[in-house]
Amino acid sequence: MIEELRNKVKELFASKRVDVVLGYQRAVDGVSAKPLFIYNQEDAERLVWDSYCVYNLACYLKELAGKKVGIIAKACDVKSIAVLLQENQWKSQDLFVIEVEEVKPSAPADKYESVRKLEAKSASERLKFWEEEFSRCIRCYACRQVCPMCYCPRCVADQSMPAWFSRANSLKGNLSWNVTRAMHLAGRCIDCGECERACPVGIPLRDLNKKIEKDVKELFNYEAGSSVEQKPLLSCFDKNDPTDFIK
Amino acid sequence: MSKKFMERIIGREELIRVIEGLLGNFQVVGPRELPGKGVFYQPMKNARDIYLGGGFTIEPVKKFFLSPSECFFEQKRNESGEFLEEAPLAGDKRIIIGARSCEARGLTLLDKVFDSDYKDSFYINNRKRTTLIGISCDSPDKDCFCTSMGGSPTEGRGMDALIFEIGDQFIIEVISDKGSDIFGSAGSELNEEQKKLWESDKKKRKEALSRKVAVPDGLDKAFGSPYWERASSACLSCGVCTYLCPTCHCFDLVDEERKRLRCYDGCAFADFTLHASGENPRPTKKERYRQRAYHKFDYFKKNFGENLCVGCGRCIRHCPVKIDIADIVANAPLDKES
Repeated sequence: MIEELRNKVKELFASKRVDVVLGYQRAVDGVSAKPLFIYNQEDAERLVWDSYCVYNLACYLKELAGKKVGIIAKACDVKSIAVLLQENQWKSQDLFVIEVEEVKPSAPADKYESVRKLEAKSASERLKFWEEEFSRCIRCYACRQVCPMCYCPRCVADQSMPAWFSRANSLKGNLSWNVTRAMHLAGRCIDCGECERACPVGIPLRDLNKKIEKDVKELFNYEAGSSVEQKPLLSCFDKNDPTDFIK
Repeated sequence: MSKKFMERIIGREELIRVIEGLLGNFQVVGPRELPGKGVFYQPMKNARDIYLGGGFTIEPVKKFFLSPSECFFEQKRNESGEFLEEAPLAGDKRIIIGARSCEARGLTLLDKVFDSDYKDSFYINNRKRTTLIGISCDSPDKDCFCTSMGGSPTEGRGMDALIFEIGDQFIIEVISDKGSDIFGSAGSELNEEQKKLWESDKKKRKEALSRKVAVPDGLDKAFGSPYWERASSACLSCGVCTYLCPTCHCFDLVDEERKRLRCYDGCAFADFTLHASGENPRPTKKERYRQRAYHKFDYFKKNFGENLCVGCGRCIRHCPVKIDIADIVANAPLDKES
């Protein structure tokens, strides 16, 4: 299996179709995996593929514009790429996707169980819950950096003239940042869970995204990343839209 | 350091009672485990909440001395016009329990920056008003390498007292007058047998740490190498490594709501050293990651004689993509100057 994968990557270089291929290699601890930037056939020998390869490699595409890129992609990466193509961030002829099947943990019976629990709380209970979670936020922006959809050339959080919200490590600024991040992913987040995995202080960011995902599904019957052809939810309108303001 | 204090030995219940006694008189911060999230330093309300297990806090104790956002002054207005009011120094005496040897050693390195030629009144005040009580590690993580950085899980540098849990007893090494104020009369002195037990326990703790890292001398030879581009390619440019580091201390000055704040900054961020003109002398991940490696293992060593790394392993443990600075620096190509 791994040889087959390595050969596919080598073939991309042999036929000069790519500048770089994104894959996985073994980390120093000998157990975990870490991302691998493959620049030539020799590098391809370091490729590994197993259940430790958890990262969403599509997050590196934002910094590889203008290059021809190969990417070893599991289901989440494929969905992320679909959104990026949909949003005209990439041209499909510059991208060579090598799909791989992952060893999946069994899917939960109710994907939105944790969201329903939060929905059942009163607004003030919910605010208390999130304030407690966001009070631990250290504003490292790992959630943003690891997200394939966070490709703004200058993030609102980094702007200083004007500063849109407090850069200080305070609950107010933390709340603004985390809510802004989640809202900017409405109809775009494919629920790969990388933000939550990357968060060093264990904030359940995925629940915030899943709540919006659930709303988008219920209100618009829309699922991000399910097809390249569909129009991005918040960048299009429908003549049959039931509300008047858009007509 | 010349003053010698006696070690004390006390039981678990007595230790809890000592902490309870502190709660009424001081602000006490201690490690607390939040299930499924990790261990965090938090203000303690109940002495029994203290986490005495083997895990490490995610954030180091640094933030209590070098605040993530320190207010320097505030712009105010009265009848005669606008004026600047300097932020007051916190006066409360404070006790922080649970720091590991590496974190406290990190403070001794920060002392060289903030309490040497330049005197930072906020940092120095925080050092003065705090009694730091450490807990010695008995189960190092695979990413720990403090012994390679001139430290040890049993050293008390930068602390006022250091606690060793041995069986159901605690041996307390009293290091300073501040430590003696708390533990000077707690429990009893060690007898000969207990002293021997402590010595062999200390040896065991040091040996439990298996990872060894060799930082090469003369790292500057590798400065121009293309190696740094490959080494940093997977870096996400987030702030996990710098913000969780017990020694990283880069900052940015931020003006908001009429206040001037000193906020943490990190060399991994794309806008680190971005000038107002739009020019950035460290335009890509290569220059920024190399800055991190060189600040820790070259520049600081040249300026202050020690590496700016205590081997706590946080930057490796919490890096979302498993970048390992120790491995990267150890493998830097010193023979390929270009």
